[in-house]
Amino acid sequence: MSEEMKIEDYLAKGGVLSSPENAPPRYRAELLRLMASFVDSELAGAAGFADAINYGPGIKERIAAAKIVLEKTDNADKVLKIMGDFGANTTRYVNHHPWTARLDRDADIGAERIDGDMRLSVFNYPLAGWNDAVVMNLLMGRAVMLQLKEHCKLSYQPLAEAFRAILPVETNHADLAAEGIKRLMETGSDPAELQASVAYWWPRVDASFGADKSKRFQSLKKFGLRHLGNAELRKSWQTATRAELQVLGLDIK
Amino acid sequence: MARFHPLRVTDIQKTIRDAVVVSLAPEDGTTIDFVQGQYLTFRQKFDGEELRRSYSICAGLDDGTLQVGIKRVEGGTFSTWANQDLKVGDLLEAMPPMGNFHTPLDPGSQRHYLGFAGGSGITPVLSILKTTLAREPKSTFTLVYANKAVNSIMFREELEDLKNIHLGRLNIIHILESDAQDIDLFTGLVTEEKCARLFQHWIDIKSVDTAFICGPEPMMLGIAKALRDHGLSDADIKFELFASAQPGRARQKAKDQTAGSKAAITEATVTLDGTSRSFRMPKTGQSLLEAAIENQLDAPFACKAGVCSTCRAKVLEGEVEMLTNHALEDYEVAQGYVLTCQCYPISDKLVVDYDQ
Repeated sequence: MSEEMKIEDYLAKGGVLSSPENAPPRYRAELLRLMASFVDSELAGAAGFADAINYGPGIKERIAAAKIVLEKTDNADKVLKIMGDFGANTTRYVNHHPWTARLDRDADIGAERIDGDMRLSVFNYPLAGWNDAVVMNLLMGRAVMLQLKEHCKLSYQPLAEAFRAILPVETNHADLAAEGIKRLMETGSDPAELQASVAYWWPRVDASFGADKSKRFQSLKKFGLRHLGNAELRKSWQTATRAELQVLGLDIK
Repeated sequence: MARFHPLRVTDIQKTIRDAVVVSLAPEDGTTIDFVQGQYLTFRQKFDGEELRRSYSICAGLDDGTLQVGIKRVEGGTFSTWANQDLKVGDLLEAMPPMGNFHTPLDPGSQRHYLGFAGGSGITPVLSILKTTLAREPKSTFTLVYANKAVNSIMFREELEDLKNIHLGRLNIIHILESDAQDIDLFTGLVTEEKCARLFQHWIDIKSVDTAFICGPEPMMLGIAKALRDHGLSDADIKFELFASAQPGRARQKAKDQTAGSKAAITEATVTLDGTSRSFRMPKTGQSLLEAAIENQLDAPFACKAGVCSTCRAKVLEGEVEMLTNHALEDYEVAQGYVLTCQCYPISDKLVVDYDQ
């Protein structure tokens, strides 16, 4: 029981870490980066969706939107706490960036992140009304579910546990969006408008999976921070979400 | 930011030749709240340099005392000091208890827990085991405890006592690396194969709700694999990698060989993922992180505001000015750590390492 093993080898073989003290420097950096990306995306997502509460056509829709804003902020808090264990100043972190900031709707930034925060590129685009918000929430919600399922397996146990608690909450947000689209279709919304939102958000959510061939992926995999590749995750999302849209009466051109 | 509190050493007991159990109490007569399986992080100065080490609490929640077990690690500065020089009445500075090596307890539940401990990895498992047996009266606990030899088993008598107190609810299997035992299976290392054989006849793995593993890396890997192969999910397995993985020796300070001068350019050498790259960068207008990225190094960062600490690196040679720091503690800065997003060179030569 006393043979020596390097932490890097332990991680590459599927080992799990449970406290900041055991995290090697490069692992620590990649883990913090991953957490910052999630926290920034949730904070930016919640901040952007806060406006959608006022777009809600009925009381149920407003409640759903408010619940989503609350719970996404709460999900950010769960992960930010773990960043705090690594030394991040959690109080300042929340205010170091204007999370409501958005680019123009027709800006084209691909998968680029914008200086000063690590939110996924898709969260830099503004929502254009209720219907648009619901479509974005469905497409991105399904992508987040796949990314979270991947995160539930990662090698830092406290974070994997946080993501296991977050996954059902985010799944519910996407389900609420699917329900919202169904209701819009039933109550006479213009399918062409919803279709236009699908066309707008589809490539932007698609870009959030990152490049098919990623150098970083290999080092993340060795650290046990990733398992499935970007291409594989993207494919699962495309297949499942396309099928779901078709059931709802929408499509991808 | 984490705060340190003074704790008075009220008792020191040797459990085996090279391990002590240290009892601690706050100065003001209060008690320290902890959860079973958590650890305390201590700080202590050695030759002017602060070292921080974490040790698991071995007491149960109902023991009415705060105790940690400290096994001496070969060449380990803190553990050797704790075993040889620490005395009753000394003050130790510790952060509040931390760690997530526990599951919530429910007095009404009837669960079967399985614990694996290697050597001093017993400390948090003992805390969990004692607390669980006391607070979940219908639950049972099976402990697989790996050691080199009989004389290196920490808490051997205490575990026997617990078996008698909680009759029929605590089952202990000792696996000894070098001492032969009546049953062959109980000799050697706790490997994946050994676990699979234990699960055949000795442990009803189907009845296990939650497993706790604390020990050295290879042992944890083997056990986790065997548990997964026998139907436990990741959520059912709790890990705690024990302290041997921490760097144990006090480090030498980085030497400042080059003083600031009037030159406007710095020769920087930056190491990342084992590769070093040298480049020239201006002393103003561009942070060290930005310069590294511009020179094709995939340096880590997130907030770029000195808040998150993702971009932390160590200055090995030279001097920098750090504009903002909301994330590193004084002792880290004293060791040469900097937030590269906030750093601008002062010296003409700079050597920085992201891998340390």
